[in-house]
Amino acid sequence: MTTHLVGLGVLVVVGAVYPLVFPGALTIAIAVLLFAGWATAWDVLGGWNGQVSLGHASFVGLGAYVVAIGASHGIAPWWALPLAAVAAAVLAYGWGWTTFRLRGPYFSLSTIAVAEILRLIAINEGWLTGGATGVFIATLPEPFGIDLFSRTAQFYLALAFAAGVIATVIVVSRIRFGYQLRAVREDEEAAMAAGLDPTGVKLRAFMLSAALTAVGGGLYGMVLAFIEPHVIFSLLLSVQIALTSIIGGRGTVWGPAVGALILVGAGEAFRTTFAQANLLIYGVLILAVVLFVPRGIVGELVRRHVRRRYARRAQS
Amino acid sequence: MRDVLRAEEVTVRFGGVTAVKAVSLALGAGEILGLIGPNGAGKTTLFNAITGFAPMQAGRVTLEGRDVGTLPAFARTRLGFGRTFQTERPFEELTVLENVLVPAFLTEPRRREAERLALAVLGEVGLADRHDQPAADLNLARRRRLELAKALAVTPKVLFLDEIMAGLNPPALREMIALVRRLAERGLAVLMVEHIMQAVVELSDHVVVLASGETIAEGAPCDVMANERVIEAYLGTD
Ligand SMILES: Nc1ncnc2c1ncn2[C@@H]1O[C@H](COP(=O)(O)OP(=O)(O)O)[C@@H](O)[C@H]1O
Ligand SMILES: [Mg+2]
Repeated sequence: MTTHLVGLGVLVVVGAVYPLVFPGALTIAIAVLLFAGWATAWDVLGGWNGQVSLGHASFVGLGAYVVAIGASHGIAPWWALPLAAVAAAVLAYGWGWTTFRLRGPYFSLSTIAVAEILRLIAINEGWLTGGATGVFIATLPEPFGIDLFSRTAQFYLALAFAAGVIATVIVVSRIRFGYQLRAVREDEEAAMAAGLDPTGVKLRAFMLSAALTAVGGGLYGMVLAFIEPHVIFSLLLSVQIALTSIIGGRGTVWGPAVGALILVGAGEAFRTTFAQANLLIYGVLILAVVLFVPRGIVGELVRRHVRRRYARRAQS
Repeated sequence: MRDVLRAEEVTVRFGGVTAVKAVSLALGAGEILGLIGPNGAGKTTLFNAITGFAPMQAGRVTLEGRDVGTLPAFARTRLGFGRTFQTERPFEELTVLENVLVPAFLTEPRRREAERLALAVLGEVGLADRHDQPAADLNLARRRRLELAKALAVTPKVLFLDEIMAGLNPPALREMIALVRRLAERGLAVLMVEHIMQAVVELSDHVVVLASGETIAEGAPCDVMANERVIEAYLGTD
């Protein structure tokens, strides 16, 4: 617990001074923070609750579109972001309600379809979404004279998002809900014997995960300022979010954030040095994690720590 | 007053196979009912039907007079059914304490109170000193205790125990028998599926014998053991 709070403090302090020290490297830092937040939010469902989604781009896109369409109708982001969160939770509820009750891999498979359906809606409902060309954010309000298009402002928003999602997970991991998530992940029948309704628990996890992801999606919309349906609702984005969490360590507080740092960092390095080979290297990285650290990087460290702590106490 | 748990004419079919045929039983507070019978007799299936883990084709289940036979398993748990699984099912990635926290949260939504309840239950089953051990690392006897602790932490009215004595060495067996007796003395109604005859004879107030899904005998433990049909059912199968 204290370790987590210290980690959060370090994140906030380092983040606060980062733009002053590296003013030229804000865009990549924003990418790291957004992915950290998304992967951490994905992990509420995928790691803590064990329900793997390959469709979280749905919520990123939903958030981005709500903010962009809102902006074109004069709705400020601070209204659009909560609205996006609610919309995402509602979508997650309907989608989870239809798929969680089916046993087997139906949920994971269905997640791929939902992002695709949203993409088609975005393309076909041009009156609302700008169709296949996409939608521009031309103006944003300037609260207290802050330019929301500036990279510095966006960096701090992304920092607040990532820190907020991680703080949420720190709390969740401690309270009843967090244990319900893990119990359902470990064994649904045993969870029922403990009085839990597995479908209800999964639904709540999905709604929280979706709502948090959509907030980051809204920020991403502001960062891009131009939202194209085939980019924002892409399977690649969904897969990247899931992999960030899996490589970093599912079901751990810091795993997804560490995964974001590694994957976004590595992606950037490989894009410049290896150009075309970057997808291949992604693949190799994933294979290495799956083979050698199946719990993810932080997941492995946490497990060793728990074992060591117990062994020490058992000896004394 | 054997009216805490009543199961009437419970029938369970899997496809064409009738695993449990119109079995009835009743159980009062502080009472231990031993459910015995050869392997494949339908004991676990009856257990699952009563607790809501297997669909029941016919019959009625009441808890303190309330019909619970159509409720999902988790709802029956909340009303007062605590069960163990024949093959233990700990939440492997959680510690011993966290395993028991999950059911403890049912009655105590706040962490601190839930932890107190969980630790009290762990003390009762003799696992308190292991509370921060990963559940995956426990040996068989301790896994059984953890299984029992999870069932107790829902603060049940009826405790369902599915062969929790099987495979225990003599000292562990004696401890487990004493523990179950203490629980019944505290007022819990206990339905116990058991193969270990020592446990059945020492603990049961009443015994029901199943064979091929049907009740073939019931009564006081010593009477039932002497029953010819029972002896035949046991010898005939194995
Ligand atoms: N899920 C199931 N599907 C089909 N048959 C089952 C199922 N569960 C149990 N059975 C059958 O029901 C019968 C009773 O099994 P069970 O209740 O496990 O017996 P016991 O616990 O007395 O050893 C067996 O013949 C078993 O094969
Ligand atoms: Mg059985």
